[in-house]
Amino acid sequence: MNFDLSDEQNVVNDLARQIFEGHASVERVKHVERAGDGFDRELWRELASANLLGLCLPEDVGGSGLGLVELCLLLEQQGRRVAPVPVWATVVLGALPIAEFGTPTQRDAWLPGVCSGDVVLSAALNERGADDALRPTVTAIRGEHGWHLQGMKPTVPAAQFASRVLVPARQDDGHIGVFLIDPADAGVHVESVKTTSHQPHAHLVIDTVVSADERLGGDSGDGDEQLHFMLERALVGLCALQLGVCSAAIEQTAAYTSGRTQFGKPLSTFQAVSHQAADAFILTEPMRVTMLQAAWRLMHGLPSRQEVLIAKYWASEGGQKVVHLCQHLHGGMGSDIDYPIHRYFLWGVQNETTLGAGSAQLARLGELIAKEGR
Amino acid sequence: MDIGDSPDEAAFRAEARGWLEQNATRRDPTKRHRQASTDVEQDIHARACQQWQRVLYDGGWAGLTWPKRFGGRGGTPWQAAIFAEEQNKFDVATGAFAVAHGMVAPTLMMHGTDAQRGHLDAMLRGDDIWCQLFSEPEAGSDLANVGTRAVIDGDEWVINGQKVWTSGAQHSVYAILLARTDPDAPKHAGITYFILDMRSPGIEVRPLRQITGVAHFNEVFLTDVRIPVANVVGEVNAGWKIAHTTLSNERALIGGGNTSWSIQELIEMARSFGRTDDPIVRQGIAKAHTRAAVLQYMGYRLRTSISRGEMPGVVASTMKLFYARHWAATTALALSIQGADGVLWGESALDDGLWQQTFCGQYAVRLGGGTDEIQGNVIGERALGLPREPTIDRDLPWRETRGSGR
Repeated sequence: MNFDLSDEQNVVNDLARQIFEGHASVERVKHVERAGDGFDRELWRELASANLLGLCLPEDVGGSGLGLVELCLLLEQQGRRVAPVPVWATVVLGALPIAEFGTPTQRDAWLPGVCSGDVVLSAALNERGADDALRPTVTAIRGEHGWHLQGMKPTVPAAQFASRVLVPARQDDGHIGVFLIDPADAGVHVESVKTTSHQPHAHLVIDTVVSADERLGGDSGDGDEQLHFMLERALVGLCALQLGVCSAAIEQTAAYTSGRTQFGKPLSTFQAVSHQAADAFILTEPMRVTMLQAAWRLMHGLPSRQEVLIAKYWASEGGQKVVHLCQHLHGGMGSDIDYPIHRYFLWGVQNETTLGAGSAQLARLGELIAKEGR
Repeated sequence: MDIGDSPDEAAFRAEARGWLEQNATRRDPTKRHRQASTDVEQDIHARACQQWQRVLYDGGWAGLTWPKRFGGRGGTPWQAAIFAEEQNKFDVATGAFAVAHGMVAPTLMMHGTDAQRGHLDAMLRGDDIWCQLFSEPEAGSDLANVGTRAVIDGDEWVINGQKVWTSGAQHSVYAILLARTDPDAPKHAGITYFILDMRSPGIEVRPLRQITGVAHFNEVFLTDVRIPVANVVGEVNAGWKIAHTTLSNERALIGGGNTSWSIQELIEMARSFGRTDDPIVRQGIAKAHTRAAVLQYMGYRLRTSISRGEMPGVVASTMKLFYARHWAATTALALSIQGADGVLWGESALDDGLWQQTFCGQYAVRLGGGTDEIQGNVIGERALGLPREPTIDRDLPWRETRGSGR
């Protein structure tokens, strides 16, 4: 057993850190947020040219063949700079399931483009109401010309830039199928929406017929298994982003409170302040160890259902407490949008609730423990 | 990164389990023993710990991570963790050697003379229980304020003063002791670290009966107690740095320990009280489960950093603080699961008041080995790089800081 990063993992971590630090400065992030469509394509090209987008994709499609732990290190570095690029949507939600389950045609159509930075992908996992990603409400009815998909998918990340969105749907045979939907299809209405983190998302209203070739893995693909695979990785990816968000927010808070003087001494020398910062640290360490544990187990094909829920519980519950503490300790600066800390708060809150906040994870975990023990 | 057992580790686990099967009895994971309370029970427990330690010693399992030259097995921190995990599944008495093995031994290995290291074998064999004479009424969180005086007289030091919160003093043959040897130096620079034979004349041990019903801690009064100069560990007046070795091992020891309860125990209790459908109870148990997982993974990190030869500083403080909060939250949950029965106490309560005792015992965990607040300071300064809290007495002679209303 060894909890240290391997040499290769350290290389990935350092490379990712360099690129995000070099290309996602506070000024750059602010510029993209105000001037553009919320997608930093320059940074995206940098990531592609360092082959970080293909980091954990197979070598035969142009990737580097590494695993989920390495991908999570990349996401952590992105979170540290709250950098506006759809890595989670494209790589975690879109490319990983296609690499794992896609037909050769599907893999060849999309994965080389992900590695080169030419293709954005996403998946539509959120559901209105009870928000149970495992019970999709979009319906898929098999007909003469393919599958007729009908329904609504809220808050799909980067859908407006995506070449394909993976849409899980309930088939007329009761099983789940995951379908590769083109948002430009005339039968798909893409409504751009604003979100808390200011990252581009869109609601999809779907009423279209897609060819049977657009079903992930073709006719024999096991949609139930695919959806579990997608959800577990989506959750762990969020945990990695959240870890980056929180650890950078704490560092900035430590620096800010040590630099600001009141009553003739740095704020952080007051225990009322330093202990809140220490509390934030104590909440972030569990996020780190639970995320790495879940990512490592998934990467090695070990049973991971409990570990994933534990990680997302800490990312949600611990994460929201951390960003609240950091926001608070910045005093009035926290609400000034010229000052960067508010973005960490907004990202932290969005990561908390995406695909279920803490209590939702606990409810599912409770069922599992009662059933499986441990 | 590799979180599973390597082939070597798996082989070690199998070997350990095989040996334990032959030498101990498995315990029921949904049941646990109430902590020894009466003097008689505590004596029995101490003797049982000594016997089990002797069995480990004879079987070659004592001092797993100790170097072979000190009589240990020369194993890795991972092997120690694996052995502890396996041993935890068996009904054996442990705990009386926590101070000796977890705190004194690493300190003597690092700073002791060859003669002082001669104590290691008796600790390992299970003969000698040790205690720690550090805290005083006026030196708790501000441990460097110790006022127990040591004055040289020929080739002996003469000790006068009072210690408090001493675990297991009544069963100990030896102690480690911090005493003031230079009152004119600043407080951190006038302390010396001693080994004390607890059978010396002038030592009075008075048990403190605690809220849990147990007398785990003691007051220890030292009157003209004589210690040979050969029992000074390290240099005279340089004891503070040595105490740091001991304390960071103490934190790792407290935070790195498994809780004595299991999640199954909570689930079974919820079932027996008909509470398993209560969403608040279910979420509470699920939360406790996530915290137990966090501690397990933090333990992996701790052992990884120890394996690298690092002192477990920030990680130990983080774990200790997390562990204390886990203890407090989980024991409160346990009592709430019991509903109206939660107010019962002692033999009137479920399992003779096991959970009530564990609940009240949270303060030993939250205060011992550096309070929650001290761990917060350590994390602030060492993990986050915050400036130290300004102090006024750091550079003054210790004598001048006494009674000045600090």
